[in-house]
Amino acid sequence: MATATKRATPGRVKGETLHDGFLRHRNFRWMKIATLLSLIAIAGYFLIDVQPRHNGGSWYGYGLGTIGALLILWLTLLGLRKRSMTRGRWSLKAWTSAHVYLGLSLIVIGTLHTGFQFGWNVHTLAYALMMIVILSGLYGIFAYATLPVALSNNREEMTQPQMLDALRSIDRQLHDAGQPLEHHLAALVQSSLDQDPFGGGLIRRLSGRYPNCATRAAQAAIRRETAYKPNLGEDPLEKVDALLVRKEAILARVRRHLKLKAMLEVWLYVHVPITFALIAALSAHIVSVFFYW
Amino acid sequence: MTFLIRQISRTSDGREIIRPTEIDSTLLSIGRLSENQIHLQDLAVMPRHATIERLDRHRIIVKAMGTLGFDVDGRPVMEVEIDASKGAELRFGSHRLTVGQDQQAITIAVERVEALSDASQDKDEQKVFSLRGLMPGKRVSAWSFAALMLLAFLAFPIWSWSSYQSVKERPQGFHADQSWSTGKLSQAHASLENNCQACHTDAFVAVRDESCATCHAGTHDHAPASRLAAAKAPPGVGGRIQNAFAGMFNVPPGRCVECHTEHEGEGRMQPTAQQFCADCHAGLNTRLKDTKLLNAGDFGIAHPEFQPAVITGFTGTKPQYARTSFAKKPVEDSGLKFPHDLHLSKTNGVAQMGRRLAADNGFGDALACKDCHKSDPSGTRFQPVDMERDCAMCHSLTFDQIGGTMRTLRHGDPAQVIADLRAFYRGTSPMRPSNLGGMARRKPGLYAEGQVYNAYFGAVQTRSGGAEAAIAQVFSPGGACFDCHRIDPPGGKNASWSVQPVAQTARYFQKGWFDHDAHRTETCESCHAAPGSKSATDLLIPDLASCRTCHVGGTGASLKSVAKPVESTCALCHSFHADDGAPWSTRQRVAAQKGGTNPVSGKPAIMNKQTGR
Repeated sequence: MATATKRATPGRVKGETLHDGFLRHRNFRWMKIATLLSLIAIAGYFLIDVQPRHNGGSWYGYGLGTIGALLILWLTLLGLRKRSMTRGRWSLKAWTSAHVYLGLSLIVIGTLHTGFQFGWNVHTLAYALMMIVILSGLYGIFAYATLPVALSNNREEMTQPQMLDALRSIDRQLHDAGQPLEHHLAALVQSSLDQDPFGGGLIRRLSGRYPNCATRAAQAAIRRETAYKPNLGEDPLEKVDALLVRKEAILARVRRHLKLKAMLEVWLYVHVPITFALIAALSAHIVSVFFYW
Repeated sequence: MTFLIRQISRTSDGREIIRPTEIDSTLLSIGRLSENQIHLQDLAVMPRHATIERLDRHRIIVKAMGTLGFDVDGRPVMEVEIDASKGAELRFGSHRLTVGQDQQAITIAVERVEALSDASQDKDEQKVFSLRGLMPGKRVSAWSFAALMLLAFLAFPIWSWSSYQSVKERPQGFHADQSWSTGKLSQAHASLENNCQACHTDAFVAVRDESCATCHAGTHDHAPASRLAAAKAPPGVGGRIQNAFAGMFNVPPGRCVECHTEHEGEGRMQPTAQQFCADCHAGLNTRLKDTKLLNAGDFGIAHPEFQPAVITGFTGTKPQYARTSFAKKPVEDSGLKFPHDLHLSKTNGVAQMGRRLAADNGFGDALACKDCHKSDPSGTRFQPVDMERDCAMCHSLTFDQIGGTMRTLRHGDPAQVIADLRAFYRGTSPMRPSNLGGMARRKPGLYAEGQVYNAYFGAVQTRSGGAEAAIAQVFSPGGACFDCHRIDPPGGKNASWSVQPVAQTARYFQKGWFDHDAHRTETCESCHAAPGSKSATDLLIPDLASCRTCHVGGTGASLKSVAKPVESTCALCHSFHADDGAPWSTRQRVAAQKGGTNPVSGKPAIMNKQTGR
């Protein structure tokens, strides 16, 4: 164990101690294991002559089904396991690595278990749910591999409370600057203040597009108002205009942040609930198969 | 007449700070501009929004100055009169003005009740930056999805099962346990699609043969169960594990459904795979030591030589059959003399006779197989050749003519033939000379005339004795019977002439099924070498090699290359649940061709009609 940890990771300069993510944990140990498992399953499928043809009810089908079901239950346990971080051979990272690669091998095992017989029934439903869970997980890996960099670049070392404080500060200044304005202009500023910067549904969050942004609308309206006025530095509108521009900038950053965070999170809203749906459908599948044997 | 304005603000921990201002005036203005007595720093308030005028000790009137009104006790108005002693609550933008009376003064408590912007409100940072508020919680949706699945696909189907468990036929419509069906039932069982309970009678009990036998009564067993079990090739590791599990859960081996798998989709039920036969029959003699059956695994490469049932002789009039392999070059003793080559020649007298009789009998330039062999109504096999129908147009047994009527010897009854010939000679006279006619008295001296008289009546006297010669001639070489039959002459045990028995085999392959109808695309000669056959004992039935010129194994295997291979599983010729009819797969094929009917052609195994004697 101790010697194993000291061994330099291939492909890296000696002495360089980089972080080893769950994907390349132990030089892709679990990827190798999962690939081997899949290859054995595929080879078995083609080499073993099941009569009259492959399906979930042959001995090979039962075998694959049992392995698949146990795998699904074990993969689900990551939800419990992740709550206690430990090191070593059975570290959380090792678990996560195994979760990812064994989860992917389930595509092979599950599909072979079906014998490519699909229909509108609970059996195919369980398969479809499994595939949804795996594909959402695949997206999750992609998100975890690519988005944190973008998230960090966008934040520029601002924390979330700092972003919120910046918004509040701009709002206070806008509020003060808007006091001398005529009512219809004040209403524009007020609409910017009233709009929830965290509002909008899931689609807005994921797309990062907010066509009804009141701040942008207010700024555009005020620009129209000031377009033909000379900037003498004494019109309160000029100050409001400048503040709205600043607010738009900070809003853009917040919204990019929200978008990236949403993309990082959204798959779990599919992955986790559908996993439970899958386990329920899997139970129904197993019970039904033996109920109507 | 004073107003007491109380500006209320709150510290971060919620403590109230009240700044009272006393204004001695009967008229106050409310607005966003600082010149107003009640100055509301609120962008939702107009620069000069409203006035408050004191009417008397208790009453004030509040009037909007512009187009924007205000709320009084939650009701939008433009103008309102208020009795300060009773109090009221005014709302301008985010500010609340509470009107009251304190002795002489009218008090107006001013307080900002809403945050100046949405962002300024209390926000749970963890929540607003995540998707938590936007999507149903993971935990909630996880449990609801799971519950939904269990209800819809477990509880509901079980309820359906339990409500119709003992019903013969369910009402039409949706039944939840259909969601358990792994696929549509085959065409034959389509009517059971709705009725899961027809086969799945008890929960967690595998489908039993009794369910099948409810409809499929009287299905022939292939062999006794013990011999079936002994004949089976031992399963591999996987199969043994599955058998062990099946045994644990009380699933009997050898169930109907092991071969007849269902829920494989609409359409015809797929024939059972050849492997199910080969599992036992490929090495049968190694497991069933006493079997008389030869090993067979695949028609193309592992099939024993055919053993046609041929007539080896007769016991009395009964033909004796023996199944003899083609390897032993069997000959058949049908009791007939019949050279096929003579009859099928295109140049000889037979062909010439055929041409002469062509108009009446539908012959061609020479005789063909069909001129003598007639297929049975199903087209499967051929009717026995019938002397009167199929031979007599040439081989006439006519011996006399009375007026326009021909008298023929009776075929198949030698005693009758002999009797008829004797009667003919007894009952008829030689041709009467024409000069012996009339009743005129013979004149003396006409001696020649007397000679005719004596010759004629002498012949009349001895005519009946000529019958025996005619009889002998019929049964002897050159005679009508002798041409085709083996004759036993009188003497010894035989009191009279007799014909040896004759039999025709209608079905040579008793263990397999051959259907002529299915081979219409072929000529007769391509399988039956009749044109070159010189003897009736030649067995003109094709052997294994002959069939293999077209038919290959179930998976296409063959020993020699075949130009147009016909893949042939065991089931093409053999039936598992064998009866007298065609194999199941053939019946299916015929049924498909005839549009859905599935006749069982239960014919006796051997048709044995003796056509002559």
